Formats: sequence, C-alpha cells, structure tokens
Amino acid sequence: MSNAVESNEVCLVDDDRSVLRSMEYLLASDGLKVRAFNKPEEFLVHAATHPVSVVVTDIWMEGVTGLEILARMCALSPRPRVIVITAREDLAARATAMAIGPVAFFMKPFNDEKFLTAVRDALGQARDQG
Amino acid sequence: MKSPAKTEESFYAGQTRILEMVASDAPLPEILKSSVLLMEKQAEGLVCSILVLSADGIHVQHGAAPSLPEAYVKAVNGAPIGPRNGSCGTAMFLRKPIVVTDVLTDPLWTDYRDLAKICGLRACWSTPILSAQNEVLGSFAMYRQERRGPNAEELSLTQVATHITGIAIGRQRIQQTLHEREARINLAAESADLAFWVIYPSRNAAWMNDKGRAIYGFDANLPLNGNLILSRVHPDERAAVRENFDRACASHGTFESEHRLVLPYGKTRWVIVRGRCLVDEHGNLVELIGVTIDVSAQKQSELQLKNQREQLAHLNRVALMGEMTASIAHELNQPLTAIANNAAAARRFLERGNIDPVLLQQLLQDMIADSQRAGEVIRGIRAMVRKDKSPRSILNLNAIIADTLRLVGSDVVLRESVITTEMDHSLPQVEAVPVQIQQVLINLIMNALDAVEKLPPSERRIVVRTRTDEDGLAEVSVRDFGYGLPKNRPEKVFDHFFSTKQAGMGMGLTIVRSIIETHGGTISAENAPDRGARFFFRLPAARKDQQSQAA
Repeated sequence: MSNAVESNEVCLVDDDRSVLRSMEYLLASDGLKVRAFNKPEEFLVHAATHPVSVVVTDIWMEGVTGLEILARMCALSPRPRVIVITAREDLAARATAMAIGPVAFFMKPFNDEKFLTAVRDALGQARDQG
Repeated sequence: MKSPAKTEESFYAGQTRILEMVASDAPLPEILKSSVLLMEKQAEGLVCSILVLSADGIHVQHGAAPSLPEAYVKAVNGAPIGPRNGSCGTAMFLRKPIVVTDVLTDPLWTDYRDLAKICGLRACWSTPILSAQNEVLGSFAMYRQERRGPNAEELSLTQVATHITGIAIGRQRIQQTLHEREARINLAAESADLAFWVIYPSRNAAWMNDKGRAIYGFDANLPLNGNLILSRVHPDERAAVRENFDRACASHGTFESEHRLVLPYGKTRWVIVRGRCLVDEHGNLVELIGVTIDVSAQKQSELQLKNQREQLAHLNRVALMGEMTASIAHELNQPLTAIANNAAAARRFLERGNIDPVLLQQLLQDMIADSQRAGEVIRGIRAMVRKDKSPRSILNLNAIIADTLRLVGSDVVLRESVITTEMDHSLPQVEAVPVQIQQVLINLIMNALDAVEKLPPSERRIVVRTRTDEDGLAEVSVRDFGYGLPKNRPEKVFDHFFSTKQAGMGMGLTIVRSIIETHGGTISAENAPDRGARFFFRLPAARKDQQSQAA
C-alpha cells in the first residue's frame, strides 16, 4: 500500500474560482484532502511531478481543455481516475466528456451525495490498484 | 302449306331471336346452331354449315352443322384454308364467295370428293363471314344433294346469315380480346402489387381487382361504387381528392393523387392513385379506370427521413440560435453549482459538529456572492449582447428578412407551413449587427412556426411584413394565425423564463428584446384582432449621410 495521505488526495481543476472553492469546501466537509487548481496548466505541472490518484475536472475551460487533461493523464502511470463535471448542457460537450472515458460524469449543479460517493469510489479503486 | 307472309314473319322473328341471343351473350355455338337451323327452315332440302376461322388464321374450326353427318363434320374440323381447299377453305382464303355446283368434278374438292360422295352432297356454295373491319371470321355454306348453283332466294338467305353470324362471332372475338386484356392487366396489376379499378359513373357502380379490395378493405363480394371507394379516403383529404376526381370527370382528363386511406378498424395506408377517363365516340364519359399503389412502406421511410431532416434542421438552428442560450445556461449553472456545493458543505460540517464559525461565515458569504452573480447573469444578457464585438453595418431589413427566410426555408417546408412577405420597398435602412438581427428574426419565425403547428396544414400561415411607421422608424412584424398570446398580458412573453412552450426555456424572447434594445429599438407583442399573435419591432433609421453611403 502506498502513502495513505497521497492516495487520499483529490485534485480539483476548474477555472471558475467560486465553483472551485465550493468544491474544495464540499470535499473537505467529507474529510477528504484536496489540492485545487484554478489553472489547468498548473495542475499538469503538478501531475508531472507528483502521483495523482483522482482528479475532478471541468472540461470546458479556457486554454487547456478537459480532453487534453485526460490525454496527459493517460500517459501517467498509474493512471489517475478522472471525474468530469460540466455546466454545458449540449450534446457535443457530453459526447466529448464521454469520449475521454471518465469514471463518473456530472452536470453542474450536481447532487452532493452522489458526487462524494463517486469521489470515494474512485479513491477506493486507486487504492486497490496501487 | 304455310302462306308466304307467314313464312316471312317467322323468318324475321327468328332473326330477332338470334340477335337477342347475341345481345344477351348466349354461347356462340348455340347462336350459330340456331342460325343454321333458321336458314335450313327457309328452303326445302337445304343443309347449311358454319365454320369459324381459328385464332391462327389458317385453320378452320367447327362452328355449326346440325344437319351434316358427324363424320363429315369431324373430317372438316381443323382443316387448313387455301386456294384449293373445298368451298369453305377456299372462300375464307380468297375472301370471296365460292360456288361449286358439282363437288364430284370441281378441282377445289379433290381432297374432299370421296367424303362428299359418301355423305350424298353434290353442290356446295360458301361465303366468307366478315367482321365490320373486313376481317375473315369464318364461312357460311349451303349444301344441296343436286348439282346446281344458288337461286336468288338462297343468295339473299346467305346474305342474312353471314351478316348475323358476323355480328355474333365478331362480338365474341371482341369479348375474348377484352377478357384476355383484362386478364393480362390483372396479372400485371397483381404482380406489381397494384390495385386496378374501374368506376362506371352512369351506373353508380365500380369494379376492383382482389388486390384493390385488399388495399381498400372491401369484402370480396361487396358491390362497389365511386362514393364507397371515396369514403375510404382520410377525412382530412377527402374533399381535395373528390375535387380532383370531379375535375378529371368534368374535363375527361386524368387525375393523380397521393393521400391516406382509413380502413375499417382504423388502419391507415398511404396510397398513390392514378386514373383516367374513357370516353365513347359521342364524347360521353363511359368509365374511369385507374390504379392504386400502396406506398405505406415507402412513406414510412420517407417520414423517418423527414424526421432525420427535422432533427438536422433543429441542430442547425441550435448551432445558430442556441449558442447564446447555451452560454447563458453555462453562466448560470456555475454560480448555482457553487451555491449548492457551499450549502452541502455547510450542512456536512454542521452534522459533524466541528463547525468553525469563521468557515461557516465564509460559506454563507460565498453563497450570497454567487446568488448575486446569478442575478447578474440574467441582468447581463443585455451586456452579453453588447459584448458581441461584431461590427454594425447599414442594413436593408428587407434583404435580411429574405436571407433569413432562406435559412429557415427547410423548417417551413418540413412543418408544412407557408410564410408570405409584405415588403415596404421604401423602408429606411438601419444600422445594426446583421447576425443579431437575423437571430431576432429566426427566433420570432420559429416561435410563429411553433404557434401554428397544431393547426391543419392549410391554415399554417405566417406573414412577415415591413413598413415605415409614422415616426419614420423601420418596423418589422411577424404575424401568425395560431391561438394567440395569453389574453391578460401579452407583453409578459418577454419576461425571463416565461414560456408557454413545453420544451421552451423562456430565454429566446429575452435575448430578442435585449438585441433590439441594444440597437436602440423597441419590441412588442399583441394579439391580432381576428386570431393569432403579432410580434413587431422597430429600429431607428440610420443617419441620412450613412444611408447614402450605403446606397
């Protein structure tokens, strides 16, 4: 079993500051350790130098998109679990999100219980694999 | 001994009887036999026979010879015609009467001489039976046991006999041809899955092949007529089909129609019907003949195609019109998400009982800020419109309307609606962002199409009109003939999230108003005096110097 603190850490990527902060609070209220990134580029730098087990990311951001994030995640080993959240309701966004193969997908706003369950499940999977 | 007058009378009566047999379609052998017996009765010792030319045109067939020995009849049946083939075969071949006074010496009888001798026949005079078109149908022959030629009475009997039997055989030939033709058409119709039908308007009757009865749902033995067939047409289309049909009857022309049939038990079929009128030589309508093709299967795939096209058109519209609504939805969902998350976090912290008042304060503060942000998004639609950096240009609204109608053309056709325009050609030009004005027009036209959707196709009308109002503003109105706006407050349709549509977000008209107001114009909605809704917007005319530049 690898470092417990590391495997319990969830990375958050959202370019909307208030959404990012609210998710940080939400995960913290469930006792989870969170590392939040307002800029996707910063997350990619972090991921290149630190192990990431679970990342929760929006897919519709300025600059780097969620798709690019997943593409980079695929190159990492072990491969991080990705949970996608998006506020876009159109089918194209949904299709794009599905194409990148997330372990869970949420439309904003989402049900907190279901979201937290998905995050815990992803962490559990990462632990089992790790 | 009969008196000559009496004989005369019964001969005429006999002819009449035979013609009645012809008219009532009695079997041909019976008619021919009666003819022969009638002729034989007219002269002492006269024996007659009728041969029919077979369909191949080169052989004879037994017609009637009730007084000739059976052996003789059998021998002649199936004999070829030719230049030396007895009296009858030669008469048919040469198409002229052949008088053989002595069969025992005449060279034409070489092949039949012995047979004639056994049967006691000596003289044989044969005359070809011709149709009205002068085709050889057969021959009428008189036999005598003595060697002589025909007398005047026998010649006139021959004339009557060939005339009557010509009618009888000719009629039978025509009917045979008709039957064969009908059988062929029927065969073709059945194999092509066609309904084949004939309507006789004067007799109020109709005929249909089995396939037709199956398509229209008629029992095999039900007597048919035109009205009964028409009663199967879908009520929505019946009047139009009848009009089409009546027009064809009146003009003795053709008709073609694609419509639905409603069968007993409510089953619906799509059919294509093609027909034409048949007129007699006096120009009277005799019958209407036609075919009906069941195209339900094709129609089904056509409808699927139409559905797909509709979806495609919808996607195109979303791409054009929905961009803005989608981004508004996105903008709104962000603060709502933050509020929901913060509230959920606060509840969880409280449940765990280790809530830090500073943290709670922070969460509540964030929720207030995000609520305000959500409000700003709504208020900011106008700002979003303004944020659109697209350059304004000097526009002719009539031209923009024409472009927009082309864009929505497929929607209009698919939704079986009609848009007419009433353009003011001296409409002042305006200064505006073309794409935004187009968005306004598309939105109003789509709303109008939705408004007339529930009406029958013939009433799905929309009128787009331009005019210069009293203050010199350019006014565009989109008027539908639907059920109108809520009676109490038509203007309410411009409010945020107000929608009378099931799938509506209630954002379209909000954006429309923002665009128009950003352009310094106004937009209103009202119910038209008779029916339907009318949306109209006014835009100020561009400055005169700009207008001349553009022109």
